[in-house]
Amino acid sequence: MTTTNWRTINVDALDPESSYNFDLSTLTPQLAPVSTSSIQQLGNQVRQQLRSGDAEGALRVALSNPPYGAAAGEGGKDAHLATVVECLQSVKLADVGRVLERVYQGPGGVECLDVLVKYLYKGMAQSTSSTTTNSRPASSQGPGFSQIQARTSVEGGGQAMSVLLSWHEKVIEIAGQGAIIRVMTDRRTV
Amino acid sequence: MPPDGKIEDGIQKTATRANIFRSQSLRPYLLCVRSSLTAALSLSNFASQATERHNVPEIEAQTSPELLLNPLTISRNENERVLIEPSVNSVRVSIKIKQADEIENILVHKFTRFLTQRAENFEILRRKAVKGYDISFLITNFHTEEMLKHKLVDFVIQFMEDVDKEISEMKLFLNARARFVAESFLTPFD
Amino acid sequence: MLLLDYQNVLIQSLLTERFSGAPPTSIDQVVSDFDGVTFHISTPESKNKIRISMGIKCFKDLLQYGADQQLQKEYGSYITDIEPGYDFTLLVDLDNLPPSAEERESLVKSISLLKRNAMAAPFERAFDEHAEMAKEASKYSSETAPQGIKEGGEVMAIHYREQEAIYIKASHDRVTVIFSTIFTDETDRIFGKVFLQEFVDARRRAIQNAPQVLFRNEAPLELQGIPGFRASAKGEIGYITFVLFPRHITQQRRTDSISHIQTFRDYFHYHIKASKAYIHSRMRRRTADFLQVLNRARPESEEKERKTASGRTFRVQG
Repeated sequence: MTTTNWRTINVDALDPESSYNFDLSTLTPQLAPVSTSSIQQLGNQVRQQLRSGDAEGALRVALSNPPYGAAAGEGGKDAHLATVVECLQSVKLADVGRVLERVYQGPGGVECLDVLVKYLYKGMAQSTSSTTTNSRPASSQGPGFSQIQARTSVEGGGQAMSVLLSWHEKVIEIAGQGAIIRVMTDRRTV
Repeated sequence: MPPDGKIEDGIQKTATRANIFRSQSLRPYLLCVRSSLTAALSLSNFASQATERHNVPEIEAQTSPELLLNPLTISRNENERVLIEPSVNSVRVSIKIKQADEIENILVHKFTRFLTQRAENFEILRRKAVKGYDISFLITNFHTEEMLKHKLVDFVIQFMEDVDKEISEMKLFLNARARFVAESFLTPFD
Repeated sequence: MLLLDYQNVLIQSLLTERFSGAPPTSIDQVVSDFDGVTFHISTPESKNKIRISMGIKCFKDLLQYGADQQLQKEYGSYITDIEPGYDFTLLVDLDNLPPSAEERESLVKSISLLKRNAMAAPFERAFDEHAEMAKEASKYSSETAPQGIKEGGEVMAIHYREQEAIYIKASHDRVTVIFSTIFTDETDRIFGKVFLQEFVDARRRAIQNAPQVLFRNEAPLELQGIPGFRASAKGEIGYITFVLFPRHITQQRRTDSISHIQTFRDYFHYHIKASKAYIHSRMRRRTADFLQVLNRARPESEEKERKTASGRTFRVQG
């Protein structure tokens, strides 16, 4: 006898008629494949705009061309995330509202902000998945008063997260809850 | 008994100071969770399409991929994050509570265990946390029909706030008590 | 109750009652004390003769370190034949009590301290050894001291619990007392660490003259190479070292120091448990709070009384 544990076999997966095998790609619109090199090209273009001080324009360019069709596992999507985050970090906190307002009013503004919300969630999801491996903190056993310290919150990734969180707050103020719903339901992921 | 009044006084002072420090980045975090959760809690009754005459939370059954929406991750830093997994008729909310050291780790573990053992009182509490998180809630369309949605969101937010506060206070108490106990034992030698 | 009593309160109250002239009755009681010590109080022959027996796990160890003389000195003529199943027995004749009330009281006190006195033997011996060595050492400068004085005396081990022991070592400038204690529970281990850290820090912070306390998970150097000593493999055993300096073991403080340090292990574990209980009650309270918040989400089913135009009430069937 083999050692296969029959109970743990997912029989649904073996049944071609089962809803478990529903092909999700039939729900998504046909996406044109995007090559990694073109994403890099776009990234360079955006960075150039950032250097010339046009953060708003850079953000708009980055958000208008999300590489939905980039092949998974090639780092293309992650590269574009880095581009977007760079744009976000280059805007001063006080200017965030103003920049967003103008992007929103511009051509294709609603879509732009939806894409932005997608990237905000992706950014937050990503930092956690990459850093969980070493997240077991060492116990602090210093002498004296070290034990009675407040639970401070300046931990790894906290700075980058707070940028994303404050952008999130502003985007939702402008675009509304609907943006989040559209992120959840859109099968085109970034 | 130790003079609890004195100890708690000290705890209060330290806690307030810590709160002022923390609240800066806590607010956008909770705000983000609030808006994301509100958006995700758009649930409708949906009978299982895999099994006749069944009505199960699709996020748990995972039998029909087209009924599951994109999960959202909100993170404040690598030790504190929330995972929202929406589906057509249910939402799973998982919280990772901050644990900076061994003591907090054991306190969080004890507390979440205490809560999950009383899961039937909480209705929306999941008996087992999703992997990588400390505690999970499962909210179905039946809960949102029976209870006020915005109050459910309030509950999750307040839960997040209070758990943090409780863990801090327990830790401070433990330290204060330990100090008191140690000094009382050693004083007769003085 | 923050500090633990040194004496056994049950024995104390029982004997106080007997000695104060209450009508004699027959007694047959088994009393438990810390560290698995049991007492048996009985009146086997007549109601006037109270027999108090003590069973203590490490009596063999204690005898080796002179518990015999110690107990002989303390109880003298009250010592009687050992009751089977126990290690040490006293017999008090109620018709033959000391005449004055003070003396009777001190007898009660002394009997209720039976466990403490038995356990004190190795401490007494270590303190004596220390005194001798200090006298010896004062003749030499630190460089010229012969080997024996530098190293100090032998390590005395008292295996007072199944897996835990006290080790005592005297040297010319200090007496080192090491407790090995075991944490059966992960929570205990972590709580214990917090507590011990405070013991270690207390001297630095508030009580400058307290004995130095050290804590570690590996066996201290003093214990290496002691026959019968097994190092723990998994680190669930902690070693707490108290360094008693000469000022703690002067003749007049000796008694109190011995009594006090004996209670350490029980005191320590008692407070760990107490903290756990407190935290549990906190969690209970907080959970109730959470439930209350959740219940706020439930809309109040307001069943208002509805009236028809003519003022009659009706109820919806269902």
